Amino acid sequence: MVVLELEESSLLLDEKLLRFMDQLELLEEKRAALNSLIEQGWFSMSKARYSMGNKRVSALQYASEIEPLVCVHARTLDNGEVDFCIERSKQKARDEAGKEARSIEDIGPQEEGVRRRNKPKNNVPEKKEGEEASSEKAPEVTPIRKSDQNLQQDPLKWFGILVPQTLKQAQSSFTQVIELSAEIATLQTAILNSRQELKQCRKDKPILQEVSATRLEKLTD
Amino acid sequence: MAELSFNKDHGYLEGLVRGMKAGILTDTDYHNLAQCDTLDDMKLHLQSTDYGKMLSSSEEDLTVSLVDSKLRENLVTEFSCLRSNALPPLSTFLDYITYSYMIDNVVMLITGALKQRDVAEVLPRCHPLGAFDQMAAVGIARTPTELYSAILVDTPLAPFFQEAVSDTNLDEMEAEILRSKLFKAYLESFHSFCKSLGGATRDTMCPVLEFEADRRAFIITVNSFGTDLSGADRSVLYPSCGKLYPEGLQLLARAEDHEQVKAVADCYSGYKIIFDDPEPESGCKTLEDRFFEQEVKLNTLAFLQQFHFGVFYSYIKLKEQESRNIVWIAECVTQRQKSKIHNYIPIFK
Repeated sequence: MVVLELEESSLLLDEKLLRFMDQLELLEEKRAALNSLIEQGWFSMSKARYSMGNKRVSALQYASEIEPLVCVHARTLDNGEVDFCIERSKQKARDEAGKEARSIEDIGPQEEGVRRRNKPKNNVPEKKEGEEASSEKAPEVTPIRKSDQNLQQDPLKWFGILVPQTLKQAQSSFTQVIELSAEIATLQTAILNSRQELKQCRKDKPILQEVSATRLEKLTD
Repeated sequence: MAELSFNKDHGYLEGLVRGMKAGILTDTDYHNLAQCDTLDDMKLHLQSTDYGKMLSSSEEDLTVSLVDSKLRENLVTEFSCLRSNALPPLSTFLDYITYSYMIDNVVMLITGALKQRDVAEVLPRCHPLGAFDQMAAVGIARTPTELYSAILVDTPLAPFFQEAVSDTNLDEMEAEILRSKLFKAYLESFHSFCKSLGGATRDTMCPVLEFEADRRAFIITVNSFGTDLSGADRSVLYPSCGKLYPEGLQLLARAEDHEQVKAVADCYSGYKIIFDDPEPESGCKTLEDRFFEQEVKLNTLAFLQQFHFGVFYSYIKLKEQESRNIVWIAECVTQRQKSKIHNYIPIFK
């Protein structure tokens, strides 16, 4: 019985080792792809600078406040591994963004805006005066807010509408990099997990070997 | 008889610009620069050229951006020397050259304001050749009409606003459209000015400006695929002083993909070679690279004739290409992409 256990444990150890090696190989491949994509992306940006002019592809072209288009969700699985997955937020339509802006109350002077006040009706009975007063205090604001609409924008548009092909190539390289990064992160946690399991198995193996050796001795006696 | 009277007013400056042209980097210089492994090596090699101690005098960290700024400073110094000694009509001609930089600066200031960037941050990045007094106020304008009537009406760009005024709010798309409309008006104005000057100036400058007009039409078309800019929208952006006007421009406005643009280019011998499929050994050159190559060829022709203003324009453009070349080599060196380092365009063989 113990011999069988030992054999099973050895097979399991072999399996885990092979899986570990496969994961390492996959990690190496993905890391190489990631490095090459990043290099490609930066180089495509240099090519874009060559066509457009050095100062037209620089930190000046993006706002200091931007909302991310991609979020990373991390969730821990049952076996202790962490899974990282990418979620792209859908770009809001301009109208929607405008409506959301209205729902946020902004106190204080606004740089750009057109304020439209509710005109009070002239022939108002006295009992409604209170209501009118309160509605006058909350005028309808229809601001022309460029900043909110720009918070979630395709980053390609930061550099202009008519951008060269090379900038689009740079963007696609970096998009692939994001996806690959999540896969690599997941794979790395899986590898750490595998390594842990491997250590555990290797610890257990000599114990099993000892137990089976003593039992064999007893049988032969 | 330009030969008889040209030197009286402009002979000194033509001599000066031809002297400066002799300092343009040669194949050997580029070969040496391409062998460098670091930006410091490049700095050393540049010291033995006409650039001299340009990079050594700076105390900032040596980056590609610094190299680009210093090269630009160098060009501005040379241009200012020419402009400050110029008499009409050369002074008007040199002013025309600066208007394209002014247009770029205006658009950079507008887009900087859209991104809520401080004017003090954006102003130093503007091209010095395109500086004008009202620059700091440009970011405040919300529509092109406001921009014109409140800020740019007293600048040299005012005449180019004929078709560019509109009441739509300035966002990225409008800024791009404004850039193209202003540039179209500027190019057409420059072209008719050179035509009016006549003689060798007209013979050297008009082909160059026609090429520029056609290049813009092609690039606008190709880059607009996949964007919100429709064929009808972009047809008003095409300059009309080129060879493509009017039939080629009409065909370009209707083009929907790269193949159709290629078909339009095939009707014109000068542009057919630009759009032809590349040879496998030459590596993948972008469309813009090929246009730059053609531009260099046209500009070098200006130096074959004397007693005209085309040499001034061509010198500026060739120096810009040289800056692009040096910056390209610098990028390849810093990013260790030596395989593509020879994609620069040599100017004088």
